[in-house]
Amino acid sequence: MNLTKKRLSQSALMPQGHKFRLIRQAAQLSFIGLAAIALPFGAQAASDTTKNMHQLYEDNCASCHGSDHGGFIAPGLNSESLKGRSPTALRSLIMTGSFDTLMPPFYGRLSDDDIRGLVKHLQTTPKQANPSWTIDDIKASIKVYVKDESTLPAKPTYQVNSMDDVIGVAARGKYGRGSGSKAVFINSITHKQIGEIPTGTAAHIIDYNPANPRWAYVKTDTAEIFKVDLYSMQAVRSVKTGFNGPGLGVSRDGKYIMAGSYVPHNAVILNADTLEPLKTFELEGVDPDGKMVSSDSGMIIGSPMDDIFAIALENAGQVWVVDLKEGFPVTKIEKVGRHLHDAFLTHGGSKLMVAAYDDNIVTAIDLKDRKIIKKLDAGCVPHVGGGAAVEVDGRTLGFGTNFGDCDKTVVSVWDLDKMEVVKQVPVAGGTESPAAHANAPYVAVDIISKDRRARTIQLIDKKTLEVVKTLDVGGHAYFPEYSADGKFLYVSAGYNGDEVVVYDSNSLEKVASVPMESPAGIFSHGRVRYMTRGLSPDEIKGAK
Amino acid sequence: MRLAIYSGLLLLGLASVQSADAASIYAGEAKAAAVCSQCHGIRMPSADAPFPPLAGRDQEYLKTALKQYRDKTRKSDIMNAIAGSLSDDDINNIASYYAKLKP
Ligand code: HEC
Ligand code: HEC
Repeated sequence: MNLTKKRLSQSALMPQGHKFRLIRQAAQLSFIGLAAIALPFGAQAASDTTKNMHQLYEDNCASCHGSDHGGFIAPGLNSESLKGRSPTALRSLIMTGSFDTLMPPFYGRLSDDDIRGLVKHLQTTPKQANPSWTIDDIKASIKVYVKDESTLPAKPTYQVNSMDDVIGVAARGKYGRGSGSKAVFINSITHKQIGEIPTGTAAHIIDYNPANPRWAYVKTDTAEIFKVDLYSMQAVRSVKTGFNGPGLGVSRDGKYIMAGSYVPHNAVILNADTLEPLKTFELEGVDPDGKMVSSDSGMIIGSPMDDIFAIALENAGQVWVVDLKEGFPVTKIEKVGRHLHDAFLTHGGSKLMVAAYDDNIVTAIDLKDRKIIKKLDAGCVPHVGGGAAVEVDGRTLGFGTNFGDCDKTVVSVWDLDKMEVVKQVPVAGGTESPAAHANAPYVAVDIISKDRRARTIQLIDKKTLEVVKTLDVGGHAYFPEYSADGKFLYVSAGYNGDEVVVYDSNSLEKVASVPMESPAGIFSHGRVRYMTRGLSPDEIKGAK
Repeated sequence: MRLAIYSGLLLLGLASVQSADAASIYAGEAKAAAVCSQCHGIRMPSADAPFPPLAGRDQEYLKTALKQYRDKTRKSDIMNAIAGSLSDDDINNIASYYAKLKP
């Protein structure tokens, strides 16, 4: 049916870490008196002194801290940001890691001399200029693992009723690289793992091809994209689109992928089949304050409404709409907001809700007219994750999470027809990602405030718009996601937790656990059918 | 599956020793989750990490090891520093938490 072709790619799930969240864990540190550690490691071999510190940084740290030392999902490490900091304190932080964050302990992985050398190197290296990564570099980076795709099996090689039942989890691996870094695929009916794709560095985003259920695309922290054959559970190709950056979208016809980077400041359209780059875009523009800036790539999203991609330019505060036709022309929508980040679609993909961190708003954009409709209050530092929308009593309600590092910790609920705020639901702390399903009674949000609350998710009743339950997941609980049938709620117990926990959506009883290292984003294959989590597949049918 | 077994154990603990034990598991859990899991993981350490696993280990062994680290009869720069500030209660709680956890 024609409908299949118009399925939408994804909700724009964006950086799963939080850029530069840096509240110190004073309480926990003092509990074990780590601040006082002065570890006598001087005795270790001195042979490492010749090692290239830059390489050591690139190989161990850059995937989180940014290839340009300017920060990515972790803060920038450079002469400016580390000015005046005690080398001993930095050394002990690198050895033990930072508790309850993604910063891993390098004790035993790097020698003491390497750690000392790194501290010196970081405290003397300025943030690097935006490195170049051209269309030729991208082309040359393509790796082919399966030469002849016609040899691939015609059907899944495992038992599954519908490919929609497949759930993918971005397992980061403790160190953001290594054997723990992979995309793990689970059958969301049986809660059993059906396959895993090693990704070298932390998997960050998983997206599915709306036109052909066999293909998934996995993007890593270091901006590689793996084209994955879900039927045989293997990577068939990969390409490196930049150095860091999670932005990834697939067009509704499944023919194009668009990827965007933090380092360097560019985006690229790829052939979804071969991963060949077709066109690159320099991300720059005049920001809402009138300044010309070079910009990180924010969310990228394909829409079931049209053959387009929308991409948010974080620093320039613009949304660009790219038409998927000869030359890939761009329409620029300016003054969307300060520090744009992620977004979600509504109304058959004709409306885009974009979060602006620094303005505390979500801006509704009409993708048909390519104009701003309205700016809506969105709590404190809105991070809408993949967004969620549900139909309740004839209204379509959107749910927006936010870091909420100020006093106001609320989840915003908007009427997406009238484009107005319906309610700001008080929750226990800052939130990062909502999950909803047409068949499930609750909207789940992950509390990320840096204390015990980070182990919990809260459930908001769709009808009363009140929090009705708090679940302690264990580990840093984040990125809730419903199975395609809405019967189960998956949650990552990440950071030092090492499992994905599964709940019954109605009883909220724990029903299963799937072990993996530092799980983060969870992506149901069902998303290609319901566009934005919580909507029914009919929403897309109504698109045209 | 794993979880069902784990919570079964927890319940047994609760039934037999009553709330004192529940509190200690909880206290142990809080500290283990906040601090020890950074290196040892909760159920398992990272496959790439040089840290020994703790989940499901013998409770007495864990207690003894922690006390030895604390009084430095067992030497490890890092564990001596970490165990140095643990009280007897902390050690009991953490050991009982990790011992009851299925790896
Ligand atoms: C898996 C991701 C990840 C990797 C890999 C990683 N870090 Fe970090 N790092 C973080 C996060 C997240 C923070 C912020 C921690 C916090 O908020 O307390 C951090 C914080 C730090 C800090 C403190 C920064 C400050 O301004 O206080 C230093 C120093 C640091 N890391 C050094 C390193 C070094 C050196 C490496 C490589 C050997 C490294 N990190 C690898 C995630 C990572
Ligand atoms: C910064 C990393 C780090 C942290 C945090 C840490 N440990 Fe350790 N732990 C180690 C290392 C390294 C060893 C191996 C030391 C040795 O060689 O004896 C170890 C060993 C141990 C052992 C001995 C295991 C065995 O097989 O004999 C126990 C018990 C232990 N740790 C408990 C804890 C507890 C409890 C905590 C939290 C209060 C904790 N550790 C926190 C790094 C860490």
